[in-house]
Amino acid sequence: MPKKKLAVYTATGCRACENSILDVHFQVSPVTPWAEVSFWPYLAGSQWQDLDGDDQIDLCLFAGAIRTADDRKAALRLREKTRLIVAVGACSAFGGMPGLVNLGGVANDADPVATDESTQPGLPRTEPRVSALSDIIDVDYVVPGCPPPKNLLWSAIQALLCPGECTSRISYAASRLPDPISQSLTSGILPPRGSTFAGDKAVCASCSRVKEEKKFRSVFRPYAIDPDPGRCLLEQGVLCQGVATREGCGGLCTAAGAPCRGCFGKAQAVFDPGAKMVSAISSTFDSTKAAEIEAMSREFVDLAGTFYRYTMPAQCVLLAGPAKDENNAGDVL
Amino acid sequence: MNRFEPKIIAFLCNWCSYVAADAAGVARLTQLPNVRVIRVNCSGMVDPSYVVKAFASGADGVLIGGCHPGDCHYISGNIKTLRRSFLLKSLLKELGVEDGRFRLEWIAASEGPRYARVMNEMVEEVRNLGPYVPPSRRSAKGAA
Repeated sequence: MPKKKLAVYTATGCRACENSILDVHFQVSPVTPWAEVSFWPYLAGSQWQDLDGDDQIDLCLFAGAIRTADDRKAALRLREKTRLIVAVGACSAFGGMPGLVNLGGVANDADPVATDESTQPGLPRTEPRVSALSDIIDVDYVVPGCPPPKNLLWSAIQALLCPGECTSRISYAASRLPDPISQSLTSGILPPRGSTFAGDKAVCASCSRVKEEKKFRSVFRPYAIDPDPGRCLLEQGVLCQGVATREGCGGLCTAAGAPCRGCFGKAQAVFDPGAKMVSAISSTFDSTKAAEIEAMSREFVDLAGTFYRYTMPAQCVLLAGPAKDENNAGDVL
Repeated sequence: MNRFEPKIIAFLCNWCSYVAADAAGVARLTQLPNVRVIRVNCSGMVDPSYVVKAFASGADGVLIGGCHPGDCHYISGNIKTLRRSFLLKSLLKELGVEDGRFRLEWIAASEGPRYARVMNEMVEEVRNLGPYVPPSRRSAKGAA
């Protein structure tokens, strides 16, 4: 049986996703009889010409947001060559932190002068706005996270790359994954297209802290408080976004006393992460007086940058990218 | 001639503001026709997502109408709306929705004239602000 071909690429991103893939380390060895890396610039120094052959890539793990013209070109090229493309990490899946630049409105490239790369290398041309990978090409699967935890990456690699009889098919990552994905892990049948390798519910569902009645008196930045171990962080006045965020990480940050920052994107039932967080926080203000409530609300700074920290280009309803079919966009009323 | 006609979505509570709207109509008070009313059982059920969705779907302004504090049919539903309104307003502002486009008003069942006045006021205010175009569609138009 010919080996399956794997490609890994990062557009605009920090390459922590690629490092997270490398973190799977020794567990990779059971996969090697079935697959080989055929394009991975970061690890193998691959060039674009390496894709010029007739061979199709079987699986591409695409990390990073679409920020420059080169990013777009890379996404289109890899889509053309690849059977299954997985958006890996928050940048690729939702636009990620680079996507916060969209808050500044539509930017036109300040320096449109084409530089001669050989004599005077310039900065790459930027697109007017940062996009998630799915705004540019069809994406088959999503592995969210910043970076994605290795168990989810590993489950994706197993489910999408290994045939059913591979000995590495173990289910330690499957416990809280949605049924179709955990089934595909154990059976070797591909999960439905568009599946996300994470849970459906909110982080709170798998967070180990005890949740009681939430009453807000004032908000604390994470450095300003030493939270009680074992009690819900939001109850203690720390801005934890677990309520609005997709689970799958197992509550790693909250278990360590750090509030959830929302790197898995919104949970399935959430319409807009910012609106959900506004609702979750402010309905627990412990006051009935308008002036007091207003004063409490003023303690929150940078709401947009906090609630859409990883998701602005794809999941912020008011700032999300233009619909692919622009003729149908708008005019709903 | 080509006056901008804003679209206002008004979430009105069944027990006070909606009745006030009814009374304003029965009393034949002059009202601008730019308001689309959505009746809800209580202003407390208007989740911030509804407001965001209204703006995303083409509304130029959104108003939530509830009973005066203390008068809520469900005792404290309107206080829940009040709690959410400040943070929601700041979030909308950061996302580029100007202040005047979102309002929370207490309108009792007997205040038909006040309903008509508030609505007409809001329509004129939003008319002055101009159409609300989500940044996503702004960029699409710019590119075309």
